[in-house]
Amino acid sequence: MTKVMTMKQAVDKHVHDGDFLFIGGYICRTPFAAIHEIIRQRKKDLTITRSNAADDFDMMIGAGVVKRFIATFLSLGFYGLGRCYRRSMEKGIPHKIEVEEYTNLSLPMMLMAGSMGMPFVPVKDMAGSDLLNVKSFMGDNKFKVIDSPFDGTKTVLVPALNPDLAIIHVQQADENGNAQMWGIGGDCQVGANAAKKVIVTCERLVDREIIGKDPSRTIVPDFKVAAVVEEPFCAHPGYTPGFYDVDFAFGNLYKEASNTVEGFEAFLDEWVYGMPNRTKYIEHYIQKMGYGAFKSLEAGFDYSYPVSYSY
Amino acid sequence: MVEHVDDYIKPELMACCGAREIVDDNIVLVGTGFPTMSANIARYTHAPNARLMQESGVYDAQPKRPALSVGDPCLNPGAAMIGGLVEIMGMFLQAGWVDVGFLSGSQVDKFGNINTTVIGDYDNPKSRLPGSGGANPIGSLVKKILIIALHDTRRLTEKVDFITTPGYIDGPGAREKWGLPFGTGPSAIITNKAVMRFDKATGEAYLDTYHPDTSVDEVVANTPWKLNVADDVHETEPPRADEIRVLREILDPNRMIRIYVGRGYV
Repeated sequence: MTKVMTMKQAVDKHVHDGDFLFIGGYICRTPFAAIHEIIRQRKKDLTITRSNAADDFDMMIGAGVVKRFIATFLSLGFYGLGRCYRRSMEKGIPHKIEVEEYTNLSLPMMLMAGSMGMPFVPVKDMAGSDLLNVKSFMGDNKFKVIDSPFDGTKTVLVPALNPDLAIIHVQQADENGNAQMWGIGGDCQVGANAAKKVIVTCERLVDREIIGKDPSRTIVPDFKVAAVVEEPFCAHPGYTPGFYDVDFAFGNLYKEASNTVEGFEAFLDEWVYGMPNRTKYIEHYIQKMGYGAFKSLEAGFDYSYPVSYSY
Repeated sequence: MVEHVDDYIKPELMACCGAREIVDDNIVLVGTGFPTMSANIARYTHAPNARLMQESGVYDAQPKRPALSVGDPCLNPGAAMIGGLVEIMGMFLQAGWVDVGFLSGSQVDKFGNINTTVIGDYDNPKSRLPGSGGANPIGSLVKKILIIALHDTRRLTEKVDFITTPGYIDGPGAREKWGLPFGTGPSAIITNKAVMRFDKATGEAYLDTYHPDTSVDEVVANTPWKLNVADDVHETEPPRADEIRVLREILDPNRMIRIYVGRGYV
């Protein structure tokens, strides 16, 4: 039975107020269309996580859908600090979110532990830093420091994470959710497999037979997947390898807009609330920025040597 | 006889200082900007077998434009290996394979501790910064840490508001007490005025070389802790002709490095 549905249906059915969400991406393959749909459906009290969060998390925080953030980092990269994140933390606008802070080693390891059914995992970082002196909603369960039972050395343990739902964007998937990805991975695979269920968004739906031509690229098997959404240009203004480049001009537009509350609200009205779906978003983008700007993001072709799994 | 260049901007000198810290065959974990330029200058000059990796999952990328983030699409085609954070930060960094890492921060203190989390009180921040990202594990686990900083009495500080990434923490033996791997820790602070190194006996940074056009007195006056000065303190070697040629002709033909001048690196 097919799991293919629209983004609106997938978010409506599988994202619940108060859920704990892992959202994949590392500038690479951010499921931005899903982020917009979550904001449009005015979900609330979400806990969100990913290593190296960027404009998408900033936008969710500014839009007020987030209560808690299991974090390592949030910035707009080349464009500096996350404006909405700062306003939330410094001024309580729209409200102050609760942040539990880890690192780009410990958080992926916690997701890896979750994906493997391990209760916790030792990590060699955070020791001696103030990350061990601040705790938020996870309280004493943020970490434990023990003497290793093997050699007595001081060891930091961090808990496994099992999000209620993961949302990831990949290049291609079949209708049951076998999801194939290539290029920079971030914590996408461990995050998706740690979750209780997964929404897979993809640039293109392919037949199960195509998946079988290169099965080593599958990062999530179909039995973990609850919904599949075919959503081309889903990651914009981020990128998807082989499909389109980062849109630096749009990144600047978001930075400028999010400098003020009014500018940010106007951005949401124009690009999120005002757009019923991704197709309309792309139409609006082309109208506003020009077809040339849209076309210039399109990736060229640089095919790999064909692989064969034959025997 | 090594040829030097007179006509350079401070960020170019800093990139060269970083490059000179890299030894052939080093594995270097880089971010964007200075670290990438430094590592690549080294590769094109004295360290042809040094290899770069980015925490996002990339090993030995062959970018055709300067990467603007560690997740930049130009890092994908041509790389020798692409995985994710578990591979780079876990299998390579945590397992002890990374020789050199670069860090920077809004505050750097005399022990080489770095703050990228918060200015002011943690719960009621004056300024909320991005957080650790990869900085803490890199600072904890890399053999040689190079810190890039603006040299003024605001960025450099006696004590950071928040230790996001440990340097020598509160002095000698502190890293070992916390179980951080033996032989790791900050090696140098490269600023727009000087190169400082660390006294193993105290864990504190001291002045090793001052850049041409500044002086020991000026560096000391712009450093908020009582800065010790090396017995053999001397002027920083200016950029060499071959370093500048690589930087301007191969790595950064559009001279994007000039954005650092706008950020105060003068």
